[in-house]
Amino acid sequence: MNAAARGHPVRLVVRDDLQRSRLTVFFRLLLVLPHLVWLTLFGAAAFVLAFVMWLAVLFERRAPAPLHAFLASFTRYAVHLTAYLCLAAAPYPGFTGGDPYPVDVEIDPPARQGRWGAGFRLVLAIPAFVLSSALGGSVAIGNGYGGAAAGVVGGLTLVVAVLGWFAALARGRMPRGLRDAAVYAIGYGAQATAYALLLTDRYPDATPGRAVPQPELPTHPVAIAVDDDLLRPRLLVLFRFPLVVPHLVWLTLWSPFVLLAALAAWLVALVVGRVPWALHRFIAAFVRTWTHVLAFLTVVGRQFPGFVGREGGYPVDLTIVPPAPQRRLAVAFRLLLAVPAVLLSAAYGWVALVVGVLGWFAALATGRMPAGLRDLGAAALRYQAQTSAYALLLTSRYPDSSPALHARARLDPPPLLPDAAGAA
Amino acid sequence: MRALRIALCAALVGGWLALAWLLFGTVVPDGLRLPHVDVDAVFGRSVVERAERYERFLLVLWVVETVVTLATLAVYARVGGRFAEESAAGPLGTGMLLGMLGLAIVWLTQLPFAVLELWWSRRHDVSHVGYFETLFGGWVQLGVTFVAVCAALLVVMGLARRLGSWWWIPGAAVFTAIAALVVFVDPWVYPGLDRPDDPGLVARYDRLERAQGLDGIPLRVESVSDDTSQANAFAFGLGPSRKIVLWDTLLDGRFTDREVDVVLAHELGHHAGDHIAKALGWFALFALPGALVLMLATRGLGGMGEPRAVPLALLVATVWAIVTTPAQNVVSRRAEAEADWKALQATRDPVAARGLFREFAVTSLGDPSPPTWAYLLLETHPTLAQRVAMADAWAARGR
Repeated sequence: MNAAARGHPVRLVVRDDLQRSRLTVFFRLLLVLPHLVWLTLFGAAAFVLAFVMWLAVLFERRAPAPLHAFLASFTRYAVHLTAYLCLAAAPYPGFTGGDPYPVDVEIDPPARQGRWGAGFRLVLAIPAFVLSSALGGSVAIGNGYGGAAAGVVGGLTLVVAVLGWFAALARGRMPRGLRDAAVYAIGYGAQATAYALLLTDRYPDATPGRAVPQPELPTHPVAIAVDDDLLRPRLLVLFRFPLVVPHLVWLTLWSPFVLLAALAAWLVALVVGRVPWALHRFIAAFVRTWTHVLAFLTVVGRQFPGFVGREGGYPVDLTIVPPAPQRRLAVAFRLLLAVPAVLLSAAYGWVALVVGVLGWFAALATGRMPAGLRDLGAAALRYQAQTSAYALLLTSRYPDSSPALHARARLDPPPLLPDAAGAA
Repeated sequence: MRALRIALCAALVGGWLALAWLLFGTVVPDGLRLPHVDVDAVFGRSVVERAERYERFLLVLWVVETVVTLATLAVYARVGGRFAEESAAGPLGTGMLLGMLGLAIVWLTQLPFAVLELWWSRRHDVSHVGYFETLFGGWVQLGVTFVAVCAALLVVMGLARRLGSWWWIPGAAVFTAIAALVVFVDPWVYPGLDRPDDPGLVARYDRLERAQGLDGIPLRVESVSDDTSQANAFAFGLGPSRKIVLWDTLLDGRFTDREVDVVLAHELGHHAGDHIAKALGWFALFALPGALVLMLATRGLGGMGEPRAVPLALLVATVWAIVTTPAQNVVSRRAEAEADWKALQATRDPVAARGLFREFAVTSLGDPSPPTWAYLLLETHPTLAQRVAMADAWAARGR
């Protein structure tokens, strides 16, 4: 666990080895039923006590230790259950939230909190809830919203769970990228829950990759480079959507030619096992332009993007390696093979949309894009670009579903950006 | 070289004047004297007062809005170049960004005026559009406008970067070609047009069409009664795309069949007089000096090929549009007067024409005799009093 992550009072701890029992994976939804019933009862008690906690913090400016312990147990229990449900962890979880679990949270003891922040906590938590819903990383939030017996795991986590179910059944292992995506969503959901339940007054941190920092990011032929400050001129933020309409028209006109080029590339690659350089360059420029435009639209990028997808031409840029040999069989069935990635890409697209909406309000109000949101948006765009690149034959490497944007070295102190611990 | 320039300029001026003379022709008889119309007697004092009160507010609003717009654009012309740093799109893309931002700022400053105008129109039961729609429904339209501005800047900046200070001649030609294309295509993509379901209306339309020597121009009805109570109709398209459109507010029983016939004949008169093709000709005639003015004004900033010249170009284009509006309105009013004359010739019903124009003052709250400055700057049609006078003049000649 790095220092920056330790700085947050609610920290995810991951000790999962990715091994999964096929039998428990197959029956996972049935196995979890008793927990969902218990979650409803536990959640109802937590809801009542959260109100008492709210009054206590309003008057005392500090959570009473027993209440804090109870709600912390509920939060931990929700994390365990979510992790089990979406296959981010293997063992059957306990019912109290007090036992250690491979995907767990550490929650600091009660600390002094501001009255204003506590008084308007539910209002302040709305953006975090919205993002958490898009990530789908908390049955507690799903339960709190719906009050249903079955907590809701939706958004990114739902797609991860479905894809992970098939993968774990086939291989007896959860793919690391999928696990990391789920763990990230769970971590954010835990911080959002803890914030709403007044366990902490620190806003959830959306920076991806903090939960399971990696010494080195796996290299991928399609990588994203973020060299963008967080300042956003409000005028450009306000008119972000209409400003991008000419790009959308341009990309719509461009896309039929890209499809034709991809078809030609497919035929050539089937014969010679490699995509011709000219076609590769043409398709890569299109994918890069899309990424630039989406980065601008979702406020992940500051500057108005160009129209031709020049490499190095935008602060949130894609690096796409030159054409390399590809296996003909994988080329022949490329569209079929791309289906899981397309599903996950759609979920990441939803996340990017939410990032864009929240970022729009934040940047309009403060003139800055929150660092965590910016990085999450960049990670979502990277996955979408990698999926497009895979489907359009720019690379034979499958998209990397982990949301980590930076290796451990860049997450360690000093922080990457002055307000990196800041809010999403 | 100097002689060549002078010769070229002389040829352009000569060509301009010749084309203007050709386009200015009309079938309204030379020396037709319009009789004096006692506005109060024809329209009724109370109607005139109500229309004057309604229009007075809108005129004041227009003046203030125009001043604010010009002031905004003047400020933007000074400081807008700074936003070039916010672009990674190269010179052309940066020019587009600066153009779109300028329009966006203008749109923002005009929003309060749009709300005030809506409030006034709703108060007088002329408009039924909601405030929410006015405030938030314009974003898509703004996006479409942005695309048009980008296309225009692409043409201008692309030509300016290739041809230097001579871009304005092919530039005007390209703009005219684009305008012709838009005018030609528009009737086929215009949404929400229905065939008329009244066989009597269709039969009368066919008769009026034949009377003006036309054939096969479709008549369509546009449903606008949810948004406004104003009555209107228009002719658009070129060649095979020509169409006539009636607003359904003309068919809601407030106007007699004979009055609707006058409207139909008027719109057919536009097609019979080739007014849309002529309007394109006028567009070309105004675009040429407009482009020249733009070139001269932006020369100090490196010309229209430089993105930083775009904010100034927006200001110059707006000023040019305002300055030339009286001349353009003269042309427009002349075409409308000719269409009125053709309508009278086709219907031979000056009484219905009189009734129609009187009704317009009631339903649309049009001031029958607006102030001269407003007439010169804003009126694209003859005033209602002038139109009644023309009907009277036609009747007098007939007698």
